[in-house]
Amino acid sequence: MTVRTALDTRALVRAGVILVVTALAFTLYSAWSAAQPDAADRTFTVAEASTGFVPMTDDGAPADDAVDDPALIDDGDEIAAPVASSRATNQLAQSIVNGLAFGLLLALASVGLSLIYGTTGLSNFAHGEQVSLGALLTYFFATQEMVSLPLLPWEFNFGFPLVLSAILAVILAAGFGWLQDRFLWKPLRKRRVGITQQMIVSIGLALALVNLLQWWIGGRKVRLSIAIDKRHQVGPFQIGNQTLISMAIAIACILAVSAFLLYTRLGRATRAVSDNPSLAAASGIKVDGIVRLVWVLAAALAAVGGILLALYEQGSSFDAGSRMLLLMFAAVTLGGLGQPFGALVGSIVIGLVSEVSTVWLPPDLKYASALGILILVLLFRPQGILGRAERVG
Amino acid sequence: MDFSDLLIDAGREMFAPTTAAFALAAIGLNFHFGMTGLLNMGHAGFMLLGMYGYAITIREIDANDGMFLGIEMAAGAQIALGVLVAILVAIAFGLLLGWPTLKLRGDYLAIVTIAAAEMVRFVGRSQSLKSLTGASTGIRGKDYKRPFESLSPFPDRQIELGPFTLHGSQSTSWWLVLVAWSAVFLAALLFWRLARSPWGRVLKGIREDEDAVRSLGKNVYAYKMQALVLGGVIGALGGVLWSFGNSVAPDSMGRPTTFWIWTLLLLGGAATVFGPILGSILFWTSLLVVRALANGLIPDTVLHPTELEPFSLVLVGVTLMLLVIFRPQGILGDRRELAINDR
Repeated sequence: MTVRTALDTRALVRAGVILVVTALAFTLYSAWSAAQPDAADRTFTVAEASTGFVPMTDDGAPADDAVDDPALIDDGDEIAAPVASSRATNQLAQSIVNGLAFGLLLALASVGLSLIYGTTGLSNFAHGEQVSLGALLTYFFATQEMVSLPLLPWEFNFGFPLVLSAILAVILAAGFGWLQDRFLWKPLRKRRVGITQQMIVSIGLALALVNLLQWWIGGRKVRLSIAIDKRHQVGPFQIGNQTLISMAIAIACILAVSAFLLYTRLGRATRAVSDNPSLAAASGIKVDGIVRLVWVLAAALAAVGGILLALYEQGSSFDAGSRMLLLMFAAVTLGGLGQPFGALVGSIVIGLVSEVSTVWLPPDLKYASALGILILVLLFRPQGILGRAERVG
Repeated sequence: MDFSDLLIDAGREMFAPTTAAFALAAIGLNFHFGMTGLLNMGHAGFMLLGMYGYAITIREIDANDGMFLGIEMAAGAQIALGVLVAILVAIAFGLLLGWPTLKLRGDYLAIVTIAAAEMVRFVGRSQSLKSLTGASTGIRGKDYKRPFESLSPFPDRQIELGPFTLHGSQSTSWWLVLVAWSAVFLAALLFWRLARSPWGRVLKGIREDEDAVRSLGKNVYAYKMQALVLGGVIGALGGVLWSFGNSVAPDSMGRPTTFWIWTLLLLGGAATVFGPILGSILFWTSLLVVRALANGLIPDTVLHPTELEPFSLVLVGVTLMLLVIFRPQGILGDRRELAINDR
């Protein structure tokens, strides 16, 4: 597999066209719905959604988000004026920016999922727990509160600085990926356990891990950093410092992974394994070593994604990752199963769809609309946006 | 701790309506997975839709003073209509799910079914449909249980039967126990009959080798769709039964519920008639016993009572993993018949 097939120009053009068409459709629709008389109550829900919060348990909801956003003032009459012109912050621009940020963070997690699928054929349902694990380990090291481990009666705290904790968390999470492959998945491959069976094993693992995390941290929402995020007004949208830094880290990680896959020997070997494992083995590539590497890489990327996501959403919980899991699958399937660059494009599409849909759908339906897109795409392009047209039946 | 109480509790759990409801849902999943090899990971979605279909129908008829299309409805007719709606909703959902995915590889069906089930839950708990589904609080039991409870032949008080005491007709009652296990029995009979019919043999053929069946001129897509819809309908009925003992709440039918059904089906043995029933009984009884023992034997400082729930679910997850790795055919199954293969 060469660079050319990994980044098929036609596929990129297709992805671009889809993005442009969706953006156009969204713009037209929002212009149309802004002209509708019921725009007032819509605006309010959008303002709620644009803070980037998941509409779940936000008991620790900080007050710093979008308080300066006039739409948050709770009387509908004032906002009934035309939406786009009355305020500096344009709903659509804001949600597109949020969607891009969310999509990039989602991409970190889903690229790993896609790599694992590509090299082993496994749809790893326990990948969401890797995401939570990264965030919760960071909390474990960084918090000033007392923490403990399951079954141990002692309480203690580390109180490390955030960056150090994040690095430690990523290393530990990567180590967990190594352990998983060493003691679970490799023996399973050796026993020639079928892919479907392995998938159900990963579901069992996910169920065990998510409850282990709940047992460990509890059901509450935790914050990695208590610093108040400063928000800047850039043109028609607002963006916070933390979000900017997160996006930068995400882009850097994705570029590094792409460079690794495209230009290094190991990366080329990885793509060879994902193309055809037996052929790769026959040409002298150590398939098991590559798979081990992919597990470590995927776990580390997922942990980074989890930490950044926790900063972006200003909190994390034991099920933060498992709630993201389906969006990751949607992204990976959208981009084409097993195509790492497809996962990137798919994540950004999912991020955009879920955030931009809040312009006219209630915000608590934003994940539902992202999953709806998945089903629609499977109907018309089952191999995904970047997938090669082949028989998948 | 008192072991005789624990024994009585475990005994009650064995025939509890919840156990029956899950057995029924697992029989539905057995049509999907055991018979046809379909990886339906969104079974809780079928159950939730069934509950909504039934509960909303009854509630709306009730709000209309028992009238439907200008006809006075008796309690039995109301139940029949509610069940009919639940079945129709499940059929529609099955068709919708199967349409894009049944021509694709198995893992696509897994991803789409789990995504669709979560979509149902998201939409159900959305504030925008509060008047219809009651958002995240769901629908209260007294809004839809009355017609069913009014048909109870048992007296309206606590009835003692041996060591077990249940109410005669309300909520988790002897009446519900009777109805639920009859439904399980009928569904098991249906499975037994269909598994031996020409139709069932085609499904098993699809499970073993899809291409071979296709080469015999069978329409594999249509057969898979029929299995998906039939299993989904049985799942929806399981949901309705479950809601009689509890209330309609979207969050109790999330992904973990689907995984429980999978665990208990694989525990009992997929592709067998009694596997889902045995699996459900074993699953719920052992879950109860493990919780009670952990609560009584492990000191609070090591395992706080609030940590019991996650602790027992960790065990469920580990059980599922071990089952699939070491004994995929479960207790009753036949290893040769059930090779979970790559499709």
